[in-house]
Amino acid sequence: MDNLFQKRIQSLTDRLTYIQDIFAGKQADSVALLQQKLDEFTDRINHNNIEKPYEEVVALEDLFKEVESRLDISITPLDKVRIVRHPQRISLRDILENVYDNFTEVGGADEYSLDPSFVMARAVINRRRGKKRYTQSVMVIGQEKGHGAEYRNGGSAKPWGNAKARQFMRVAETEGIPIHSYIFTPGSYPIEDYPGAAQQIARNIYCMAGLKVPVITVISEGGSGGAEAIGLADRRLMLSNGYYSVISPEGAAAIEGRCKGGERPPQELVERCAFNLKITAEDNLRFGYIDKIIKEPPLGARPYHFDFFRQLRQEVVRATDEVVISAKLAPFKSMRTARRNKPDVNLDEMYLSWALSGSEKRRLCKMRGDKFLALSKNAAVDNRPFLAKAMHRVDDLVTTPWMQFKYEFYRKHQRKIHSLLEQLDNEWDVFKGWIGKPFGKGGVKSKEDKSSELMSLSTWTDEHKHNKWNYLSPRYKIDQAVTCPNASVYGCPDLWGPDLFAEFAGVCSNCGHHFPMEPEWYVRNVFDKDSVLEFNSEIESGNPLEYPGFDKAVKAAQEKTGCKSGCMTFEARIDGTKLVVAMLMGTFRGGSFGAAEGYKFFVSAQRAAKNRYPFLAYVHGTAGIRIQEGTHGVIQMPRCTIAVRRYIENGGLYMVCYDTNSFAGPVASFLGCSPYQFAIRSSNIGFAGPGVIKSTTGVDVAPKYHRCYKGLARGHIQAIWDRREMRNNLIQALQTIGGRNLYYR
Amino acid sequence: METATSLKDHRVLVGNRGEIAIRIMQACRKLGTAFTAIFTPEDQESAHVSFARKYGGDHGLYKVASYHDANELMAVADVAGCTAVHPGYGFFAEDFRFARRVTKRDRKMIFIGPSWKIIRELGDKINTKRLARSLGVPTVPGSDRPIYDEMEAENIAEDVFDFQLQQGVAHPLVLVKASAGGGGMGIEEVDDIDQFRSVYRRIRNYAARQFKDEGVLIEQRITDFNHLEVQVVSDRSGKNPVHFGTRNCSIQSTGRQKRLEVAPGFDPSVIDYSFDSKKVLQDIVQYSLTMAREVGYDNVGTWEWIVTRKGEPFLMEVNTRIQVENGVSASIARIKGRDQVDLLEEQIRTGLGEPLGYSQEDISFDGVALEYRLIAESPENNFTPWVGTIDRLRWKEHPWLSVHTQVPKSAYIIPTEFDPNLALAIVWAPNLEELKKRGLEFLDELVLYGHNNAGDSMQNNIAFLKEKTSSILKF
Amino acid sequence: MLNVSNLLEQIKQNPYREITVYAPHTGVVTFENIKPGDEVHGPEGQWKEKPGTKLATLTRERNPKPIYAFEKGVIDKVHTEYENAFVESGCPLVTIRHHLTREEVESIILKQALFLFRAPERAKYYFTPEVAAKLRASDFGSVVIHDGQELFIMSRMKRELPLYYMGPEGVIYATYFKPNDNVDTDAPLIGVCPQEELPNIKEVIMRVQTEWQEK
Repeated sequence: MDNLFQKRIQSLTDRLTYIQDIFAGKQADSVALLQQKLDEFTDRINHNNIEKPYEEVVALEDLFKEVESRLDISITPLDKVRIVRHPQRISLRDILENVYDNFTEVGGADEYSLDPSFVMARAVINRRRGKKRYTQSVMVIGQEKGHGAEYRNGGSAKPWGNAKARQFMRVAETEGIPIHSYIFTPGSYPIEDYPGAAQQIARNIYCMAGLKVPVITVISEGGSGGAEAIGLADRRLMLSNGYYSVISPEGAAAIEGRCKGGERPPQELVERCAFNLKITAEDNLRFGYIDKIIKEPPLGARPYHFDFFRQLRQEVVRATDEVVISAKLAPFKSMRTARRNKPDVNLDEMYLSWALSGSEKRRLCKMRGDKFLALSKNAAVDNRPFLAKAMHRVDDLVTTPWMQFKYEFYRKHQRKIHSLLEQLDNEWDVFKGWIGKPFGKGGVKSKEDKSSELMSLSTWTDEHKHNKWNYLSPRYKIDQAVTCPNASVYGCPDLWGPDLFAEFAGVCSNCGHHFPMEPEWYVRNVFDKDSVLEFNSEIESGNPLEYPGFDKAVKAAQEKTGCKSGCMTFEARIDGTKLVVAMLMGTFRGGSFGAAEGYKFFVSAQRAAKNRYPFLAYVHGTAGIRIQEGTHGVIQMPRCTIAVRRYIENGGLYMVCYDTNSFAGPVASFLGCSPYQFAIRSSNIGFAGPGVIKSTTGVDVAPKYHRCYKGLARGHIQAIWDRREMRNNLIQALQTIGGRNLYYR
Repeated sequence: METATSLKDHRVLVGNRGEIAIRIMQACRKLGTAFTAIFTPEDQESAHVSFARKYGGDHGLYKVASYHDANELMAVADVAGCTAVHPGYGFFAEDFRFARRVTKRDRKMIFIGPSWKIIRELGDKINTKRLARSLGVPTVPGSDRPIYDEMEAENIAEDVFDFQLQQGVAHPLVLVKASAGGGGMGIEEVDDIDQFRSVYRRIRNYAARQFKDEGVLIEQRITDFNHLEVQVVSDRSGKNPVHFGTRNCSIQSTGRQKRLEVAPGFDPSVIDYSFDSKKVLQDIVQYSLTMAREVGYDNVGTWEWIVTRKGEPFLMEVNTRIQVENGVSASIARIKGRDQVDLLEEQIRTGLGEPLGYSQEDISFDGVALEYRLIAESPENNFTPWVGTIDRLRWKEHPWLSVHTQVPKSAYIIPTEFDPNLALAIVWAPNLEELKKRGLEFLDELVLYGHNNAGDSMQNNIAFLKEKTSSILKF
Repeated sequence: MLNVSNLLEQIKQNPYREITVYAPHTGVVTFENIKPGDEVHGPEGQWKEKPGTKLATLTRERNPKPIYAFEKGVIDKVHTEYENAFVESGCPLVTIRHHLTREEVESIILKQALFLFRAPERAKYYFTPEVAAKLRASDFGSVVIHDGQELFIMSRMKRELPLYYMGPEGVIYATYFKPNDNVDTDAPLIGVCPQEELPNIKEVIMRVQTEWQEK
């Protein structure tokens, strides 16, 4: 018996194990059949009573193939989750070896790497046109699961891994070469150490929104934030057995089944969640969140599926070509694209330069942004009457050019006029002083005046400000003592509810601990009285996945809060300065963020841009992306980040203020990317809450791990504000960060 | 006798300790009103505890964690069935939030003190100053609202300087203080106008950091003055406040704590003043009553004044509570000719809703009185408190003497958590000469000794009080 | 030299400490379902973030406050006579028989071995800012103090006084007071170990660690 033969048998054994693993007890008949045949065969081999071993092994291999093909049809979403996580699944290193012609790893090697969960490489693809050979470079980045090697951490990248990825994406941008990113991650590792899981992902997404090179993404295991960290691409391809989801099915089941600590949800519930979350490639293609599915061999691609690698190579090259073509203003665009999509075409023979000119780069960026902004439009319920929608559109058409004129043309000249007037004013003052001189100091009071003035009542408009707050928490009506959570540390006496929730604004008078307040408190007490004008309140959270029972849950939340979604958007004035505010409300399903919230957020960023107002995201609380909306929710991360980036690049001032608890997706994208992030005292900010960390990593989390003070020390936020001072701090921030003209650079 | 029965229907929570707790309980007993006292473990041996045990009956005494915890007071009040709370002085006496809680909670009680809105209004010094000015009541020259503008601040400071020079003050001083501050924090004096700007900026920055409010007050700093008080009493109608005369509280420790109080505030019959002292006393009484009427003042209170050597009175603040030295005013006062006036009794009675029952004409004054505060401290050493055990405190009884103390007859370890007053001695006499004699007689007869762990004998302020007795009521 | 074995033997004769859980303030008590003989535990977890066994609830002003065991042990007595009754502050609720831990035994024996600097008066004590900063920044048992050094701030009667250390030069090896808590006269404030004695002290601790069996 030679070695190669042994290897073939070993390979069959592996295939059988694989089948057993991915079906986890199901398909027992097929497994038993294969097992029996394989056992029989090896038994006979071992006893040397086999006549034509090679023919028989081929027959056995054919049987495996046939069974695998048959089983492939019955794969469930949860089976796919098991497939992508299986050690035998192809990994990024396999792809580098087999898809590209040569490569040099740049992000470290094996365990000697800043983050072994990430692999980065400069890779080359050799192509021809006619007889001429061309070598094309790409930057390949992606998570490496390493076939189960422990140090790879299952492809769960640390914040510094994501930072490294961003660094090399910038390198690719400088060098003008396309980026191929491969997503093999169950999610990012929830650690807050600098640069911080959420903050770094936010930076990555923000960066990718403006990358001036083609970006192609291939998704195998697309776990939420970790996937988005390298997933904002011009083309998103997905392996047919991959999954792309807001959360792992186990995580969703743990929440659904209200599991605590390390408790495991029942398997049946996990299976159901995997189904309900609509995580497969087909689902995501239908939603429009991926562009194409790459068909895998039956039961999923493994390192020996060389055909598959060839196909993958064609797909990534085609996608890159298409992106490059689409960015060009050249004629025959569609023809060239169509030619590349013909069956049996070999793109290796159809070299196309991937270099882009300056204007093409800008177009590429714009197209990428537009593409994402157009996504998930139907996942929210737009209850605005038809007329309102039409009016809005007409208004947009008329006012946008007017605003542009007003701010881009008039403002420039206005400033000149102003400075002229100021100079004149100064001259006049000097003149006045000169005139007044001969008559002694103008306005000097007589002695009697002075003493009586020092003793008599002066005018003061600020008097009698006993009712400091325009809004009081309804909890002030309850005659009850409340214990401060810091009582054991600082010895705070119990507070009286009616004092605490009214006059004290929910702040412990001894230690300054901030009890959570209602979103209304901020709306009414931070902004100028009666200046708040809500818009788009009719846009409702829906149930785009038709997640069982979720309609009811949304209804209940709507009734409880009186709001249609978890995001309230309004225009308001603060100390006379107008601004646009998007408020994520922790009271509406934990402040989770879905398509409706994303839509409202994105529209308010646009509105702020159009009107040249500062834009504030006040996060009363957010638990993350709304799980029951699946990738409709996840897609809001790149989408809203793009909206914010466009606003900022137009010269806008975007500020974020966190309160209570702010976690996961929103922080890891459109919130975390703000250059100016503040937090209300006693708030928690982070990537994953303590419960999630415990259940995903098994690590206990120190108390106060996510406290804003820690966030400040880690460099995630810029300052911590006392709730009672939020108004003044905002005014100060607007004056200093926004400058005199607040918005325009 | 409808009112009498209604007083008997009440139960007063004595939200305080020490001698004032005893005086409140004594007053309740005189009125026939039930009471409930509280104590903390440190006060185990205090006479107020034994008094409550002896006379309080069921629900007469509860052990609590702290006198500072309003929740303890409310919980005890509920379980004992109290209908009213007397805060005494210190602790919650001038806490409008506490008063508000007492009256606004689900099980409502009476707060024996002015209504919470009055406490809040007069507790705010700027507000009080403005109220005074609006009524033509003199206040210390300077700003009566927070100043936020540097130019304006400088103008006021210059004016205050000029004003003093004009008044013949040799070394004018200007006080700069954070308007949101208090208790001596964020306050500095300026003796040179050129320094003003830097001091102003320092205080402003301190205030912005500490109190989140940049407002600054600028006033004349008066150094040569007497500290006078007007005792006001009013019933719940708030319409007919009366005064119980004036007190002079100028003899104080270096930390501005009162040590010896005299009623009335000046005595022109035997002492020559450089100003018309009788008119000053009349003026401050009338000013105080004007303000009390204006706000509808509805319980006992004290208007604090400073009187300069030139006889100018300036209102300092209003204390919306019964004061330690209330007894010294009571002892010279006569209501409809009767003596044995007890202002605590008047406070509780009117606080619970009884009408005052007399007017200013019914109040007369007889003689002079002083109050000594006996304290274990070392006046020669910056009034440092002495800590240890009192082995013996005895005094000789006289018809002209009353002593209020929580120190029991047995040995008593002075608790370290509270104010250091050991006893108050109130001495009455028909005239000032006799008063000084009696005062010294009392101090000479007084037996007070103790020891501490180091074996040193007790330090006290008796010698200080003796020395000061000779100069009472002298400007 | 200290006879550690003797001391250990003495402690082993009665290796228990009686812990009484008192009502921290007034209120109405309701006990958990606990009885004598039940085992309870103190705060647990890496950061002691999980509270001990819940013993009772004390409700005051409609604010129910849980009362937890703060040490491990066996319940000796439950004052069930107070069930649903209003209790005063400091009322005993539960007594727990607590088997001494290694650290506690160490502390008992160290108190014999170290030089104890005691509180001259009942007061609140704080380290001076310089010493406090040093203690925070340096390793355990490395801050050296000497006779006559200004070490504490003594606070009582709203006044603060400096307190000078008197005793042999050495390192602060144990601190027996908490800021904001009153310390009785003669109660130890710190335990000081002369530097040359440090090896001996370490040996004492080694002895306790090997000889004391924790339950």
